[in-house]
Amino acid sequence: MTNTKIAPRDISLKTDLLSPIADLAPLPAPYSADGMEPPFKQPKPEWAEEHCASLDGFIALDGLRRPETKEDEDEFVRRFIGGLAKSFADSNNSFLEPLQLTMDYCAKCNTCSEACHIFKSSGEQEIYRPIFRSDVLRKIYRRYFTPSGRLLGGFVGADIDINWESIARLGELAYRCNLCRRCAQTCPLALDNGMLTREIRKIFSQEMGIAPTPIHAKGSMRQLETGSSTGITKPALIDTLEFIAEETEETCGRKIEFPIDKQGADILLIHNAGEYMAWPENPAAFAILFEEAGLDWTLSSDMIGYDSVNYGIWYDDTQARKVAMQQIKAAEKLGVRRIVVGECGHAHKALALSADRMVSERNIPVESCLPLLAEMVSSGRLKLDPSKNDFPVTLHDPCNVVRQMGIVKPQRDILKAICPQFREMMPHGVDNYCCGGGSGFAIMNSYNFKDFRNKVSGRMKFTQIVKAFGEQFTDPGIVKYVCAPCSNCKGTIRDLFEFFETTKKFNVHYGGLVELMVNALVSMNRPFLDFAATA
Amino acid sequence: MADLQVGNRTIALDEDGFLDDSREWDEDVAKKLAELEDIELTDEHWAVINYLRNYFAEFNVAPMVRRLLKDTGKSQAEIYELFPAGPAAGACKIAGLAKPTGCV
Repeated sequence: MTNTKIAPRDISLKTDLLSPIADLAPLPAPYSADGMEPPFKQPKPEWAEEHCASLDGFIALDGLRRPETKEDEDEFVRRFIGGLAKSFADSNNSFLEPLQLTMDYCAKCNTCSEACHIFKSSGEQEIYRPIFRSDVLRKIYRRYFTPSGRLLGGFVGADIDINWESIARLGELAYRCNLCRRCAQTCPLALDNGMLTREIRKIFSQEMGIAPTPIHAKGSMRQLETGSSTGITKPALIDTLEFIAEETEETCGRKIEFPIDKQGADILLIHNAGEYMAWPENPAAFAILFEEAGLDWTLSSDMIGYDSVNYGIWYDDTQARKVAMQQIKAAEKLGVRRIVVGECGHAHKALALSADRMVSERNIPVESCLPLLAEMVSSGRLKLDPSKNDFPVTLHDPCNVVRQMGIVKPQRDILKAICPQFREMMPHGVDNYCCGGGSGFAIMNSYNFKDFRNKVSGRMKFTQIVKAFGEQFTDPGIVKYVCAPCSNCKGTIRDLFEFFETTKKFNVHYGGLVELMVNALVSMNRPFLDFAATA
Repeated sequence: MADLQVGNRTIALDEDGFLDDSREWDEDVAKKLAELEDIELTDEHWAVINYLRNYFAEFNVAPMVRRLLKDTGKSQAEIYELFPAGPAAGACKIAGLAKPTGCV
């Protein structure tokens, strides 16, 4: 069987590998040359003994174990079907209507497939079509929950064998989508295959206790236990902030202070705590800018008040609600007038949009940092010298900020004011492509999943980045910068650049937006960005 | 990843070779973990390992890389020379620290 012939009903086929990854979409020069793209890491046979490696050879659900007995298998299927019933119950009220519409009205026009970076990058493998996954779910739903499906089966699209393998493959397939919702944006019927994918993840997590370890056990659970998904506790936070302040003064001669737990401040700024560990220059840059603009702001050291992440919005409503409540509580305790979310895409969506539905008693406005930063530039409150950023810069649009929230212009107004060589990727704005790390992929590194991210889900973004710099890309004498105002996107781009040796060979760097702003500040005597250090 | 045999103890490792339970660490475990990476531990390695252990004991999390460099007085290149897999996958792993989590 060739991959092009695989149909949704084949999800239950008895085969060791339903859809092996084959010819990926070509990369642009210089990566089109032989030897420029590292190969896939070969899966080990023992992985398949424990997990579900029979979809495409990748394993995202490291907690999904093969059942040992027939009873275990039956229980697995029963729980999934029971969970599916809950998805279609009134209690799933935030999601029920779009889910039901997507289930009932898809015309299979495949406009969504053309919009999907994973489908296109995979060389158009059938299983990665957004509607393939939905159709598998649709068939299961019809088989169990419609009278005609129960009676007539295949005649009404309910032709599917339901067993451990098919449900497990569907679970894996729910983690071959970045939830970027480019498909939903393009659907002529406004159906949302991204949201439907999340429902599958939700059933696996909430009903079956199965979710990728980095986003659940070592992600949102760790956040609820320690205060942060990184494991940073309050004492570690205080210590880290002191260190960042010292370090900033030593390296760029700027004394900064992080206001902590300042009662009644105008703004509570919440960063993705990953920034403190991996990109400490980002919180430092925020502190410099906020101080220079004279804002009345604070950080919180309260439980979860210093970590904006909310991985639950990718896979589990209960986890999402618990985390959001703690974040709101931290803001209420300080009596701030508003919460400003730093450069983290999914935290934007989680706190500014989803929390509205999850935490009904919330009455503190939540804002993106981007309009605030743009206003600091346009009002002239920051004195900026664009000649300090005279190198090629392109902008990556985090899906959650741009497509999900419509914040498109502020970041561009800033870059146009401070980067003389700014150029757009194509396409961009609300038509952007995901970095490839969306919905948890950025931190999911189990088994060979990293390869799926670097070679498949990140492929379109990597292609866009190469093209954005044109002929300058291959000139190692020219420093180039990809501005990605999102922690997840930065992590993904960092890994892409390591995988493809992009920084090493071609002097292409990545980082946030505020770092470029501080680098352009007239008041800075030394450069804030040090490209030699990251080369 | 396969479990680690240290004397008569069997110690569980995760798929990236980090200890499943960081409390199982002792100097013999460190030596075994180092062997897996073809590293013979010298005083210089131990200085880094002990620094990481102390930081972890105090804060229950690994220090950021820059802090490790500054506090041990080593450059990134020197850390890579000592631990070719790098500060996290090399030094922290042998020091028995939990694998980094979150968006890092």
